[in-house]
Amino acid sequence: MNDQEFFDLALKVIGARASDAEREQLEMLLASRPDMKTQFEEIRGDARLAKKVLPLMEAVESSSGEFPAYARERLLTKVRQTLGQPRPARTKRGWNWRWALGFAVGAAAVVLLLLPMLTRPAEPIIQVAMLDTAGPVRGEGSDLDALKAQWKHSEVRTFDKAGPLDTWTTNWPSGAKVAAKVIYDRAAGEVRVILYGPGKPVAKTFSVGQDLAATLRQATGFIQEQTGK
Amino acid sequence: MNPPNLQALQGGDAAEWDLAFRWLWPAAFGAAQVVLQPCLPAEVEDVAIESLEELVEGVRSLSSAEELRPLLAGIAHNRAVSRLRQFYAAKRGAGKTESYEAKQEACGDLPEAIAPDDPVGALEHKELAERLGQLLAELKPPQGQMLADFFLRRLTYEDIAKKHAVAPGTVGVYLKRGLAAMRRVWGPGGKDV
Repeated sequence: MNDQEFFDLALKVIGARASDAEREQLEMLLASRPDMKTQFEEIRGDARLAKKVLPLMEAVESSSGEFPAYARERLLTKVRQTLGQPRPARTKRGWNWRWALGFAVGAAAVVLLLLPMLTRPAEPIIQVAMLDTAGPVRGEGSDLDALKAQWKHSEVRTFDKAGPLDTWTTNWPSGAKVAAKVIYDRAAGEVRVILYGPGKPVAKTFSVGQDLAATLRQATGFIQEQTGK
Repeated sequence: MNPPNLQALQGGDAAEWDLAFRWLWPAAFGAAQVVLQPCLPAEVEDVAIESLEELVEGVRSLSSAEELRPLLAGIAHNRAVSRLRQFYAAKRGAGKTESYEAKQEACGDLPEAIAPDDPVGALEHKELAERLGQLLAELKPPQGQMLADFFLRRLTYEDIAKKHAVAPGTVGVYLKRGLAAMRRVWGPGGKDV
């Protein structure tokens, strides 16, 4: 009997898959060849290990089983508490969706600047807002200051929820021939400009890098370029 | 589903975690189930969720997304073993109740998962994860599937040959090589632990 044949016989007996004749054959073999007892014990040890490890291996490779919905919030809270909440990808994905709905959903705080139509009728009305869904955080005040500095005559509106911002975004000033809405979304790190005029609304998004003031100047430049003012 | 983006997970990207939890869940649940199903089946889901929380805490120490599932399985296994030990400790202590008695009767005196010489339960979860990862790399298909067919699904050599469309005489060769790979990673009979 060669090694492989002995292995097969031993494994069948250990795994309770052997016939009576095979069990008897193994007993006789071990009785006549004591040196094979060690080999048999090794196979038995390996089999014991396999029975312990294989279920874990199957678990690692498994793709069945549905994640319970009730666990989701608990686990996402754990993620936020443990790893912080830097601009989630979901916010950016959600933003695309909002654009598709006519810029209906925003993120953080809004600043609105309205230039008096009576004194300067040819100037576009500029409304500015900031959306900050994270609530009051460090740096918010300086962001507001930057917005106020860029549009000195504007009221700065702030929103902490997307819904009211959406309403504000779609509510254009009555009687205005040309108007612009500037929305600074802190969570997404974006400044969005929407221009309303005789034609279709025009929109552009500016990513905020290290310097918010520089981005706001770019937004102003875009408005001037589009309105000729 | 592909493995999640580890960098995004480490950065706390909620959307990526949302997807990752679904991908990871079977590994957590399966590993906890292996230990708890006979005695404490109602605890399996809870242990799986706790294991995912522990994975969140340790994700920044990983260098590859391939490590996620083995690590999670290791965490879930060890948490399940702890839960089972608590159950038996409570049984021995003053707080034993009638339901515990009934459960112990169903589970036996001491499940192998918490036996002192258990080759898997004695490992720290990180070491367990490393060995599972190594073993996944060592076992060449269809060695792993055939080992599971023989030891877990209790198929005969002939059934395994039919299932994998190989000659019956080669099944033993695959099994022998598979066990040898396991021994290389774990030590003979798990005696390295």
